Amino acid sequence: MKSLFSSIGSWLDERLGLSETLAPVMGHQVPRDTASWWYVFGSATLVLFALQVVTGICLALVYAPAANEAWASLEWLNYQQPLGWFLRALHGWGSNFMVGMMTVHMIQVFLFGAWKYPRELTWLVGVFLFLCTLGMAFTGQIMRFDQDAYWGLGIGVSMLARTPLVGPYLVKLLVGGPIIGAETLSRFFALHVFVVPGLLIGLVVVHLVLVLRLGINEWPMPGRLVDRETYREKYEELVQADGVPFFPDAAKRDIVFAGVTILAVIACAAIFGPMGPNGVPDPTLIRTVPRPDFFFLSLFAAFALLPPWMETVLILTAPVVGIVALLAMPFLFGLGEKSWKARPMSVLLVVLALVILVTLTRLGITSPWSPDMDAWSADPTPVRFLEGRTPLEMRGASVLQAKQCRNCHSLGGEGGERGPALDDVATRLTRDQLIRQVIQGGGNMPAYGRNLSPAEVTALVSFLETLHPANQPPARDASRPAAGARPPA
Amino acid sequence: MSRDPENTRPEDRARPAGAASPRTPVVPPPPVDRRGFLFKFGLALNAVAAALFALPLIGYVVSPMRRRAWQAWIPLGQADAFPVGETRLATYRNPFTVPWDGVTADIPCWVRRISESSFQVFAVNCTHLGCPVRWFPESSLFMCPCHGGAYYEDGKRASGPPPRGLFEYEHKIENGQLVVRGGQIPTLSQQV
Amino acid sequence: MTSRPGSSLLARTLAAAIACAAIAGCDSLPGKPREADRPIRPSEVTDFAALWGTNCAGCHGADGDRGSSTPLANPVYLASATDAAIRGATADGIPGTSMPAFATSRGGLLTDQQIDLLVQGMRSRWGKPVSPTPPGIDDATAGDPGRGAAVFAARCASCHGQDGAGGPKAGSVVDPDYLQLVSDRALRAATIAGRPDFGMPDWRGESGREPLDAGQVADVVAWMASKRPAPIVATAPAAVAPAHAANPAAAQPTTTRNDHVP
Repeated sequence: MKSLFSSIGSWLDERLGLSETLAPVMGHQVPRDTASWWYVFGSATLVLFALQVVTGICLALVYAPAANEAWASLEWLNYQQPLGWFLRALHGWGSNFMVGMMTVHMIQVFLFGAWKYPRELTWLVGVFLFLCTLGMAFTGQIMRFDQDAYWGLGIGVSMLARTPLVGPYLVKLLVGGPIIGAETLSRFFALHVFVVPGLLIGLVVVHLVLVLRLGINEWPMPGRLVDRETYREKYEELVQADGVPFFPDAAKRDIVFAGVTILAVIACAAIFGPMGPNGVPDPTLIRTVPRPDFFFLSLFAAFALLPPWMETVLILTAPVVGIVALLAMPFLFGLGEKSWKARPMSVLLVVLALVILVTLTRLGITSPWSPDMDAWSADPTPVRFLEGRTPLEMRGASVLQAKQCRNCHSLGGEGGERGPALDDVATRLTRDQLIRQVIQGGGNMPAYGRNLSPAEVTALVSFLETLHPANQPPARDASRPAAGARPPA
Repeated sequence: MSRDPENTRPEDRARPAGAASPRTPVVPPPPVDRRGFLFKFGLALNAVAAALFALPLIGYVVSPMRRRAWQAWIPLGQADAFPVGETRLATYRNPFTVPWDGVTADIPCWVRRISESSFQVFAVNCTHLGCPVRWFPESSLFMCPCHGGAYYEDGKRASGPPPRGLFEYEHKIENGQLVVRGGQIPTLSQQV
Repeated sequence: MTSRPGSSLLARTLAAAIACAAIAGCDSLPGKPREADRPIRPSEVTDFAALWGTNCAGCHGADGDRGSSTPLANPVYLASATDAAIRGATADGIPGTSMPAFATSRGGLLTDQQIDLLVQGMRSRWGKPVSPTPPGIDDATAGDPGRGAAVFAARCASCHGQDGAGGPKAGSVVDPDYLQLVSDRALRAATIAGRPDFGMPDWRGESGREPLDAGQVADVVAWMASKRPAPIVATAPAAVAPAHAANPAAAQPTTTRNDHVP
């Protein structure tokens, strides 16, 4: 048995010459310090990419990339096709992991100064790999052709359309027609399955060749400055003096970490299952609440929170500025200190970026700026606010529900968060102020004056006046005598 | 492709009649060299072929943006089906459709009948980032589920991030039918 | 490729375990989508709990009671109201009140079938035989306000106060703003079915007393309705009102707050 394998092996090797070409590559010397758990994220990202290719091909065996069939084929995958749901889950979770792992890899490379001379090109290629991966994430979200995909495309189109002069042309180029439809899905399918993966594979090859040619970045030491004249010599010396073969000394950690990563993807897929699809992508079903996948939640949140005047400017310039900054970085700061210990600004930048990303993503999950579209008819008025109320106040509570106030204002923690919670509104606003706010709106609240009868206003405000904790008196108009005198309604 | 002169020993080759001097490997071949001419001719030929190949390809890919008018008059049904003083969801089949569009070509719009003869027809797409706004008759507001845009019943912006009021369809009454002009996805830079 | 027996046994066991898990285990994994989670069009929802929870719970309470509006999980209400009236109120709303129209034909989001399901669901879940048979909520015989005042003084004043303007245990039922926001039918519903969820007795009153008869109910409702101020301007359904304001020519006759009988 063993001899059969080895004779097949040597037959192949004689022809392929693997032991001459691959073996030296695998066994090339790397600085001992780089045989570290900090150097495993790049290879893990590559392994995840390979996983995505495999699961993607499997999904393509069943998925129908046509607008009228796609959703049904996703349903088929989830419920009819044996293990179809698991493949979808693997592909979906694989994409989450890949985006996450790539980000970690990028941060590690950034902090370790690996983008400095002579590895500028490796970084540039890496930036494009990053963009391509995000492109895969977005186009992949469209492949899951449901309501989120449809309206997610709508958001993309609306952003693109803000480009001066060529906006409408870009929109038509992107969606393949005047409006989102069959050709849109086909275009994104081609991008997701042929164009972007092709780019990714090509760029990965260049990325790896560069890593091999220039050597893996040594463990950065404060004070060990990068100098164009001496760096490569010093690196050679370092490898000669204290090097280990990449395989197996450094690679064993990559292998272990890759295995753990794959198991984690499998576990997530098995436990949490596939993502969606949600409702059929029928634009006439307007009872929908579109949300992007988690990679784009931070962007989604930013659009809600940006002041309108800077929105268009930012949509158009921020990506360009960001990409240019990433590309220009190695040319502007490509020499000098590599260690994060000696580059406090870089550490600060990473922390800042992560804080912004996490905060915005968290906000994106709860979307406090969005009305809760069904709150008015679905979230009951908490019973404690109704006990002991007069018939008029009860009518007021019904007005509060029926006029959709709770789509933006919560009571008892349920309802929209766009406006302030009303649980103790009576401690903040007097009766007059409540009436004025309801009728005239203001502070980002629409005016309801034309839309409420005088009786409705009275009932509503009577109810609102009861909303204060038992131990806290309602707000009082200091300009009136304090003796509990109610202003005329 | 042309054969690499380095890999073939000179004596093995059939010597071209015109080439008198012993050939040095590779560059630069004399300008009148037939081999050099062939190489350049090959390049030029391929340039022409590439251009002829690429032009229709590009034209194919960008064809959607070359066409200007993606608008048509579309009937929304009997005008009397829309009660005076109310705002109703109407749907139509996008005229610029292919057979495999499926449900994506069913386009909704909000029809507000102000009086017997006067209508407003709004696109459902929020002017902020295109999410579908929903009409709430009880509070007379259009609300957007994405970033909290709100519009009054006449389509004017009420609150939230939208930069303008709702997009409106051009419309007319023809033989008792409400007809709107549409076909494109409405954005800040193009009409519905 | 080692051929040590221990190692190959381990490898085989592992492989067998993985194969078994892959074939047998996948169907019971927690991530497998459940049939119940299959997305359906909103118009195809037929589950009573889902329909109630999305459309009715806001005002009528999560379990059909203890909401701000008439509790429907009240056997007396269900015994006293007709299906047609409940269906009509759900489909077309009750003009002038906070009850909106839910039927798609009226600009709402529920199909006729879904409204039927809601009515049947309320009956099958919350309906119970009630004895004695209560007067009909949808029986809109005109009452006499004068006699109603006497009935009120005898049967309601202990909680709502002598003149109905609020008493020790309950608030005013003659508040003009309140009366403008309720239909006569809702007044009748409150009188007959009470608000058991908040301690208001039904038409039988406190134990040991004679139940109100249909005539008394009509009288007391007529008395309360007589306190209602005449409508000033259109307080018709919300969507209509501003449109009318903008186009007086198109204004319809002002909706009165009389019985809504579909």
